[in-house]
Amino acid sequence: MSTITTRAAIARAPHVGWEIVDLRLDPPKAHEVRVKLMAAGLCHSDDHITTGDAPIRLPVVGGHEGAGIVESVGPDVQRVKPGDKIVCSYIPACGACRPCSTGHSNMCVKGLNAGTGMFEDGTWRFHEGDTDIGGFCTLGTFSQYAVVSEWATVPLREDFQDIPWELLCLVGCGVPTGWGSAVHAAGVQAGDTVVIFGAGGVGSNAVQGARFAGAKNVIVVDPVEFKREMATTVFGATHAFATAKEAHEFIRETTWGQLADHAIMTPGAVTEEMVNAAVQMTGKGGKVTITAVGHINERAVHVPAGALIGYMRQVRGALFGDSNPLYDIPMLLGLYKSGQLKLDELVTRKYTLDQVNQAYQDMNDGRNIRGVIVHEH
Amino acid sequence: MGITTRAAVCRVPGQPWEITELELDDPKANEVRIKFYAAGLCHSDDHIQKGDAPMRMPVVGGHEGAGIVESVGPSVTRVKAGDHVTCSFIPACGKCRYCATGRQQLCDAGLNAAVGCFLDGTFRFHQDGEDFGGLCVLGTFSQYAVVHEYSVIKIPEEIPFDVAALVACGVPTGWGSAVRAGGVRAGQTVVIYGTGGVGMNAVQGAALAGAKNVIVVDPVAFKRDMATAVFGATHAFATAKEAHDFVVETTWGELAEHAIITVGILHDEVIANAIRIVGKTGQVTITAVGNGWINENPGLLIGYQRRVQGSIYGGCCPLVDVPQLIGLYQAGKLKLDELITRRYKLDEINEGYQDMLDGRNIRGVILHEH
Repeated sequence: MSTITTRAAIARAPHVGWEIVDLRLDPPKAHEVRVKLMAAGLCHSDDHITTGDAPIRLPVVGGHEGAGIVESVGPDVQRVKPGDKIVCSYIPACGACRPCSTGHSNMCVKGLNAGTGMFEDGTWRFHEGDTDIGGFCTLGTFSQYAVVSEWATVPLREDFQDIPWELLCLVGCGVPTGWGSAVHAAGVQAGDTVVIFGAGGVGSNAVQGARFAGAKNVIVVDPVEFKREMATTVFGATHAFATAKEAHEFIRETTWGQLADHAIMTPGAVTEEMVNAAVQMTGKGGKVTITAVGHINERAVHVPAGALIGYMRQVRGALFGDSNPLYDIPMLLGLYKSGQLKLDELVTRKYTLDQVNQAYQDMNDGRNIRGVIVHEH
Repeated sequence: MGITTRAAVCRVPGQPWEITELELDDPKANEVRIKFYAAGLCHSDDHIQKGDAPMRMPVVGGHEGAGIVESVGPSVTRVKAGDHVTCSFIPACGKCRYCATGRQQLCDAGLNAAVGCFLDGTFRFHQDGEDFGGLCVLGTFSQYAVVHEYSVIKIPEEIPFDVAALVACGVPTGWGSAVRAGGVRAGQTVVIYGTGGVGMNAVQGAALAGAKNVIVVDPVAFKRDMATAVFGATHAFATAKEAHDFVVETTWGELAEHAIITVGILHDEVIANAIRIVGKTGQVTITAVGNGWINENPGLLIGYQRRVQGSIYGGCCPLVDVPQLIGLYQAGKLKLDELITRRYKLDEINEGYQDMLDGRNIRGVILHEH
């Protein structure tokens, strides 16, 4: 096994966009896997890097939603072998740390270096000249090839081998994050009234999850008409409004004044105004589940505690929808195969690696539910 | 017909409690008139008297109280004349959406708590043609009050009234914040900010639920000593920083599972400290009055999946939890007598509140004279 060259989109600094470069990629060490990436999802989280809202070590190879084929494995790798098709989990799931042991592998301690891309032994696998470069979430799926932790690979069973790459990559992050936000983190139950802020690549899956969990009302708030249309005609939302105010008035009326059971926040970025609108939209015992991050210099969760006490409301954060990658990724693929989960409709446009900046412009212009890079080899 | 009663009232926020004589109507349908023997001095009444919490005035203060049913109105089924009772600061109607799903602490009949009128919009206390509401539609700082039967819980006769007065507000609010709204479980690490009349019961609840570490933060030495010597706390610190450093060390960096905020006056800083002292999947449970805000970048809640839970009545259901707490007291697993630091006559009420604010009391109680 040797060092190879790979084309990748990197961010060198905030506000200058992604740059396509050739990098050297080391062979995998012990418990590492080198992956030939076939598709990479364009998640908003990577866009937060180029807008300066995510405090990531730069330069970084972007991309944390990815699927591909195992090209080579380092010593002691047992989870996968060369030739296997895999989905990359957004962070590793080692199975033995305290969070993994208590059903929260979304917070596995091996995810510690997600913001730098450094491996556990303190070294790096991507290089440009003398510069070491990490992959975002220690992946870097905006590269033709990447070396990832064995613990971040999710092998695919026989039934899933024919699923297109552009759909497989999405279940590495956006789909379980959205679905899980409704089903696991919020805990939507049959008959509930749920309001979902933001129906993009993550929110559309929160809509699916809420509907699947049996919510009576799945109410979307999104300023973009295309997203409202997709939410109600494709993903299962019952109602869609352009503003929080309209949604609030409808919810008050339809629940006879008792308001919503859940508010799930999956916009591009949360703001203080949005968070407080969400709190006020939930009734007694209501819960606000925050999945989306805010702008780096804002404290969007600026809420008077009194709004939580008298009504026994809860505000909670959700990471990866409180999902467990080794279980939820295959589970969601199974739901897709049985026709109960829509994935094809999430992919609005496909792009080549060179089109990455255009792809993010499209996302920010509200033109995509999800865009996907299809790697060329 | 009606009777007269002596009561501590507040006419305007900021004015001290005033003892005055009021007219008290007879109970209407589903109402009972209670002869109070004891009333607890909860901080919430002080918040109202100071104007920190909204309340229609003039008001008869007091929402912790126990006594004997003096008379009942038509159609009352839950209690009868002569029963020993304690008053629940939120009613439990049994039929609204929340009561019907085991969430009595959110009962819709609690709607008028900050007004003091009954569901038909009328009042029972009067003076010279002016209506006075009872706080939480109770008014236990009065020798007698008319309350709705939804707000009354029968207690065994052998329970002393001063202890019984606490068992339908301060005790379940604190105990429940740990056990019910918080959900403390065996082996966990719990940090409790503020160990007064409510917080001390969060300590007891966390200890009974089997927490490994019950760590209190309180600037008052007397309260820290009581917490560890009497109520089951394992560690006590004067400042949040000392508690934080200890928690980091004792949990090998994993931090606490629970932080419970039961301070006298809620402010931003204690909320920020509590959020940072809980680790992955940790919960901050807040039950305190004051202008405190959560003020965080969402990342602090998302990355560790932290939860901030508002708690009213500790998430308890009074009709079942109040008797259960009395049962725990009778079994020696809940300390109530030790919560009462000083007893006062009604005329001494302002002194009682000053003692509370000076940190001299866990709980003060008024013993009514008849």
